[in-house]
Order: sequence, then structure tokens, then C-alpha cells
Amino acid sequence: MAKSSDDSFKVATGEAVGVIAAQSIGEPGTQMVLRSFHTAGISSVVTTTGLPRILEIVDARKRPKFPVMEVKPIKSIEKNYEKVRGIWRKIEEVKMSSLIRDFKEDLKTGTLLLNLDKEKMSLYEVTAGTVASKLSKNESLTVSVEESDVIKVKFKGKTTAQTRTTFVNTINANILGVKGIIKANINQNEDGTFVIKTSGSNLEEVMEIDGVDKWNIYSNDMFEVLKFYGIEAARNLIANELQEVIKEEGFSISFRHISLVADAMTYTGTIRSIGRHGVAGDKESVFARAAYEETIKHFTNASVFGEEDKLKGVSENILIGKQIGLGTGMIKLAIKKEDLARIKKKEAKE
Amino acid sequence: MTGEKCHVYLDGRAIGTVKDGRAFANEVRKNRRTGILSGEVNVAYIQKLNEVHINADRGRARKAYIIVDGGVSMLTGELKEKLKSKEIDFNYLIRRGVIEYLDAEEEENAAVALLEDRISKKTTHLEIDPASMFGLTASISVYPEYNSVGRHPLAMNFAKQGQGLYAINFNNRYDARAYLLYYPQVPLVTSTAYRSLKLNRHPNGQNFVVAVSTYYGYNMKDALVMNRAAIDRGLGRSIFFRTYPDEERRYAGGQQDHFVVPPATTDGYLGEHAYSKLSEDGIIEPEQTVAEGDVLIGKISPPRFLEEQTSFGVGEERSRDNSVTLRAGEEGIVDSVMLSETTGATKIVKVRVRSVRVPEVGDKFASRHGQKGVVALIVNPEDMPFTKDGVVPDLILNPISIPNRMTFGHMLETLSGKAAALSASQPDGTAFSGNGKERMDEFGKMLSDRGFDRFGDEFLYDGRTGKRFESQIFQGVVYFHRLMHMVSTKLQVRSRGPVQILTHQPTEGKPRRGGLKFGEMERDALVGYGASLLLKERMLDQSDKAEVWICKDCGDVGYYDHIKNVPVCPADSGNNLEKVEISYAFKLLLDEIKSLHILPKVKLKSE
Repeated sequence: MAKSSDDSFKVATGEAVGVIAAQSIGEPGTQMVLRSFHTAGISSVVTTTGLPRILEIVDARKRPKFPVMEVKPIKSIEKNYEKVRGIWRKIEEVKMSSLIRDFKEDLKTGTLLLNLDKEKMSLYEVTAGTVASKLSKNESLTVSVEESDVIKVKFKGKTTAQTRTTFVNTINANILGVKGIIKANINQNEDGTFVIKTSGSNLEEVMEIDGVDKWNIYSNDMFEVLKFYGIEAARNLIANELQEVIKEEGFSISFRHISLVADAMTYTGTIRSIGRHGVAGDKESVFARAAYEETIKHFTNASVFGEEDKLKGVSENILIGKQIGLGTGMIKLAIKKEDLARIKKKEAKE
Repeated sequence: MTGEKCHVYLDGRAIGTVKDGRAFANEVRKNRRTGILSGEVNVAYIQKLNEVHINADRGRARKAYIIVDGGVSMLTGELKEKLKSKEIDFNYLIRRGVIEYLDAEEEENAAVALLEDRISKKTTHLEIDPASMFGLTASISVYPEYNSVGRHPLAMNFAKQGQGLYAINFNNRYDARAYLLYYPQVPLVTSTAYRSLKLNRHPNGQNFVVAVSTYYGYNMKDALVMNRAAIDRGLGRSIFFRTYPDEERRYAGGQQDHFVVPPATTDGYLGEHAYSKLSEDGIIEPEQTVAEGDVLIGKISPPRFLEEQTSFGVGEERSRDNSVTLRAGEEGIVDSVMLSETTGATKIVKVRVRSVRVPEVGDKFASRHGQKGVVALIVNPEDMPFTKDGVVPDLILNPISIPNRMTFGHMLETLSGKAAALSASQPDGTAFSGNGKERMDEFGKMLSDRGFDRFGDEFLYDGRTGKRFESQIFQGVVYFHRLMHMVSTKLQVRSRGPVQILTHQPTEGKPRRGGLKFGEMERDALVGYGASLLLKERMLDQSDKAEVWICKDCGDVGYYDHIKNVPVCPADSGNNLEKVEISYAFKLLLDEIKSLHILPKVKLKSE
């Protein structure tokens, strides 16, 4: 029976945790296939999975290919479908283009006639008035409601091209919801609570919506999480996302290895990628960097700045042929100076 | 599609349109069968594109089928009789429109029946034989329908590697490498294709008595246990030939190579002993025993660079030794020597060396069912298991190698081989030529009639103790190949040896007596384990350890002046240097960095 003491989980001093983590992740990684989409079940929210997603995280790409959010309502309304639906309505983005049947534009006079779709209007619970007021937020436009389902927009630009651009922008204008949220679905959990899952991520605006539990929003966009929730949240996100992908592929890798990767990526306070432009490129040792990629570049730069290699890392010491400072190589025999002198004297006598 | 015109393509070029493509294709076929068009024309109607493709170009793989007309095979009983009596032949049937060749495209239009009784109204063609669906190599295999598909390509690969009688004129041939089995045998179980290809004229294996059993753990994981008595009687014994070719090359400037016993003054002289087996013409004689390092063909070449003139005029012309020596780790007897000339009138020599290869631990064997193994133990006959009749197996195969590979053909061959050996018959193992149960019954009866178990099981007695094994053991005769992969050509060891000039690291590869690479991933494994001293030993002590003098003042690499007995720093001409143990690769790296116009300095610190 294993002792349930914390000590039994501690890592021995000098253990090469990084190498072990790399091997533990790398070995099953070779078996992963490179196909990105396999239908992720019932939920219509599409995300990158498998190896492409791992690369996305590890390379610290600025934006995931398919950003996704999971929005939880606050405790008091989490089982109230109507209220949750109210939040949902505020989240999913509705563009002008999806509310109209067709439109007529006259570039000479600078008028745009929008024929609204009544069915769509009632689905999203908007009237021509509310739509018009949304559009008139753009001050350069003169918006008027002609009939209950026709809106007239007037704009006279300096050039026809400018007018045309403005009209296209008007048709693509955001009327309802949060910008960037392409799609949102309400899912019910087993305990009866509702969750909104979205395609597209915009933490900044979603966390301000009334009824949203801002301490429980989940987004898979790590730079957004870093911006609004800080580096610790980003670290947890990286580790959890990696763990999730690996689990989905049917491999089991100890969380300690994965969290070490997340730690290595985030301990500086920003997210660094694993590779030339991140963790490997930021190494202290010139030799270690030169051994990895772009050898000559690192040596010439080192000569320009007069860099010194302290020979502390593993690859430098292997290169020059010294014992490495890990594992058995980290322990050294120490002796007091006076003791040494005494022994030497004794030896000399003999 | 109706109403649209159907495009017709001849060899990929559009030549026109027709109204009804299908009818047009049938018309073309009819003309081909009646002999109006050449039999090499193939036509296909492609419904999806509403196109007709006519192909008459070369390079199409085609296959023969019997034509079926109106649900009746054109190959009537009458024709079959005539065929049997050799009144008519295959070409007659082609001319008469009984058999025709289809290419890949026309095959898409055909509905082929596998057997005559499976012909339906839709059927257009009939297979000549179900086994004809296989290619050349696959049709040689026996009982393929009982084996897992994945095993067939493996088995075919092994069949290629099997040693045997590869050519009758082997004695007149100078193949670079050749393997010749001492007593090749025709397999007991063969297929129609095997016989019609006349492969029994140059077989590549032998019939082994195989017991499916364990043997004290010596045949785990595809290891094989063999009987020493069988090997001593010549089982699996083969000859290995290697030819060493050489020629008297001509060089610019009128110089050329010469086949001679090199004089001791040649550059790179290998020592008197190495040339001792050469005759006066510089070439070795047949039936001479040779070992590693012996020169087979003595040859001197002109020097690579033109020499400077000495004060005495042009000096005596020096020559360079360019002799051919026997490969490292090999030995044998010179089998024959061939002298000839090329079309350019340069002399060529080919020396063929032969060596007998007796099966030994590490040699590879395989059956015809993709079951390969490596000999792990050769047991003295008295220690081998034996039956009540005194039959001792030649080979013991581990039963674990059968179930998950699903090579039941191997087991059926064991059974039929045994029945065949007992009844002096040659069973047929052609694909789809019989049904499993009937075959089992047939062979079972052949065995039980002769007093054996009908499933091929036998009680064996342990040769070591004399006690009978508790369970019966499946034993029979299986055709095995001795594959061309033999340890004696591959075995290599090194503790010390040659190093590369550039890096001072050990060389790579067997011909250079090299070491095995301790690569990046192996390095990671030791780092991960924390075995720092073992790692240092691999990467430094056993590799490119170098002692270098480093200047304590300027940090540059110096040298030791053995005349003045002091270390010298060439950069500041000082003598304040320290001997440091580093990898030569690092010294090389420092040199290369210097070549980039960067001055690296090594700071020393005592530990």
C-alpha cells in the first residue's frame, strides 16, 4: 500500500523532469494522427482537436482557429431557461444581413432601402425601430423607418466607392449580440443547469452582460484569457486544454508532465511558445541555442554582444564533454579547507 | 443522360460522338470477337461520364477470361475435350472468341463469375480458374485462402529471399552475391501455378519435419530450435558466392593500372604476408583458402598527383597500392578466377570466392505462410524430442506464433505435408481448389490408415529425460526457406577501432569496423535517467576524448612542445597553459567558430 503522504509524490532532487515530460508526451504524440476534424458529437460547436490543436497551443498561436466559449449564468438563474435564453439573445451576434430579405441601393443619391424579414425579426424579437436606432449609432448615416418593415439609410460619400463601402458595412453591421460570436447554443447539463456554448470568443464583452457568471466563463483563446484573467488562468487553460485533447485521443499522460509544459510556457508572466521563438530561443546558454536551430546566427550575435556561456545546462556540458549537472552529476563531495590541509599534511608525512 | 451525345475516345483522344454509347461498345466488342478488329483492342462504356473509351495502346495490363454468352460459357464440354486431347490450343480459343483479354477499363463493364455454376443472366465472363485472380508470386503460395491477408505479402517477400538453385548455370556466372542451397527440394505440397511455371526445376527450400511445441523457452517470440543431426546431414546447408571484380584502368597521360604482386616500395604496401597467396601474375589461384585481409587481386595504380621533379630529373615513378582484399569478417575458398577484356581492351579480372554456410544460431528461416524465425538453439539429436517411431523433428516451432497471425494454411500444410510424406503423394494446395473439411478428412484418412492420429498429433518423448510429454504435439512436414539473411555476414563487434579524421569520433558502418550510434534520443534517455557518469562515458571517454592545452591568460587553445618540454600558447607565446579534458568535437567547434571570424575564449576555473 502506498503511503498517503505528500512526500511520496515529491520529485527527487536532480530528477530530469523536463526530459521525462518531453518523452512522456512525445512518445504517444508520435502515434497521434494529423486529422483535425472528427465530428465532436451532438454539440454543433466546432473546435480543433487532436494534434493540430496541440500544435496550436504549444506554438502559442495568437488566436485559435476555432475559438470557443462556455458561458455560465449566475447561480440564481442557472435553471431558468427563459432567463438563460435572454442572455443567449444578448450573446449570439445578429448582423443586419441576416434580418433582411433584400435591399436596394442607389449610389447616385446615396440611399439604401432595407427590406426587413418579419419572421426573422420576430425570432430575434426586434422591431424596425430598434434596428434603426442601432444603425443610427453610426453618426454619418441618416436612418429613417419608412414602413414597419422597410428602413431607409441615407449617406452621401465623397466618392461612389466610399458610399458603396459604407453600405456594405451597414449590411454587415452588428445589430444584436456580441461581436465575433458566430453561433451560440444553450445546453442543459444533467443537474438541470443551463450553459451557453459559443463559436467565437469575446470575453471582454460577454463578461459584462447581466446574468453572466464572470468568474466561470471558459474560453479556449489563451491570449484573451491572459488579458482578462491573468497568467495563472492562462497556465491552467493551457494545461487543461492539452490534457483534454490528449484524453480525447485516447492516451493517458500524467497531468504533471502536461502542467510542466504549461509552467514552462508561462512562468515568465507572458505566454511563450515552445520552439525557436519561445522557450528554446530564450535559453541562457549560447551553445544550447546554437545546438537547436540557426547555429550561425546565435554565434554571430553572441560575438557582437560578448556573451558568456556559464556551462550550466545539459547540452552544453555534453558538448564539451563534462559531467552533466543532473541526476548523479548534481551531487558533489565537499570538504572543509582546514580538513583538506590536515589530510595533505598527514599524507606528506607518510 | 439520354438525348445527349456520347463522346468516343481512342487512346485518350476524342474521335467523335455516337448516340448510344453502350450499344456502340457492344458493337466494337462483337467485331473484336469475330476477328474484324484486333484482339488487342479494348473498349469500355463509362456510364458516369457517358463516354466510350477505346484503348489500343501499349502497356495495358490485361487478363484472360472465358466469354459467357446468354448465360452459357463459350468453353463448351466439346472444346474442353478437344483441349485435353491437345487437338486445339489456347490461341485457337482466342481466335474463335471463346477467350478474350480484358484491360482494367473494360473490366469495369464485365460481370465475371468465379465458377461455372455461378453464372447468372447478367454474367458476361467466367474466370478460367479461381486462382487466376492472383498475381505471379501469390499464385505460387499454397492454401492461401486459409491465411490472413496480411501474411501473403510477407510470404511472397520471403520466397524471394529463399536460398535455392537460382540458376542452373550458376557455375559460369559471376554474380556479385549468390546463394546456393546444397540439397534443394521440391515442396510436397504445390499449386498449379508452381507446377506450370516449372518452379520445381529450381526450388528454393526444403521440406522440414516441424513439431509445433515449445522447447525449454528457447523458441519464444519467433525463435526456432533446430536439430543438430539434421543440420549435420546437410539440412539448410548452402554456399555463398561473392565476386570481387577489378580492372586495369587507364588514366589521362598514358598511365594505367597493373595487375602485379606489388613491390614493397609501393605506397600503402600492406605487408609481405598479405600478398603471399598471389601467383606471379598478381592474381590469386582457384581453390586457395583465403581469410580476412588477404589480397585477391594485386594491383598498382599511378600516383594521384603529379610529382615534383627532383634534382636528378624525373625520379623513379612511384606507384600506389590499389589491391582488392577479402571483405572484413569473411573467409572462404577462391572458387574461380575469370580473366577477360572490356570492349576498350582493358584487362578485367573477376574472382569468385565461395564459403559454406552451415545453419547456425542467428540464421533466418521462413515457411511459405509468412512465418519467419531465427535459429536460437541447435540441439543435439539425443536431447531432441522423438516419437514412438523414432522420428525427431528438424525444427521446433512455437505454437504461439500461429493463433494471432491466423496462418491456418501453415497448419494445413503441416498436416498435408505429413500425409504426403507417408503416402508418397503430392497434394494440391492451389487457392480455392478444395474445401477445408474435405481436405481435413482426406488427409486425416491418409494418416489414420497408416496408424497416425488423423489430426497430425503425436506423443513425443523428451530426449533429455526420456519421459513422454503430457499432451500430444502437432507434427508434420512443412516447406521452409532458408533466407539469405545470415548472421555470419552481419555480425560485428567493436571495443576499440578506427576513428574519423575530422571529428575523432568512431567510424560508422560494418565495412569500417564502426561503432553503433549513440544518438540524440539515446542521450535523452540517459539524461532523463540522471545517469551522468554513464552519459559522460558514452559521449566522451568512449568517443572523442581529447586532451587540449588551454591558455590561462588568453583562453585560446595551445599545444605542447615536446622538444622544449613546455606547453605553448601560439596567441600570446606564453607558457601559462593548463591541460583540459574536452571532447574533440568541442575543439572542432571552437575552430569553426574562429573560421567565422569570431574569437571564442575559454575561461578556466578549478573545481
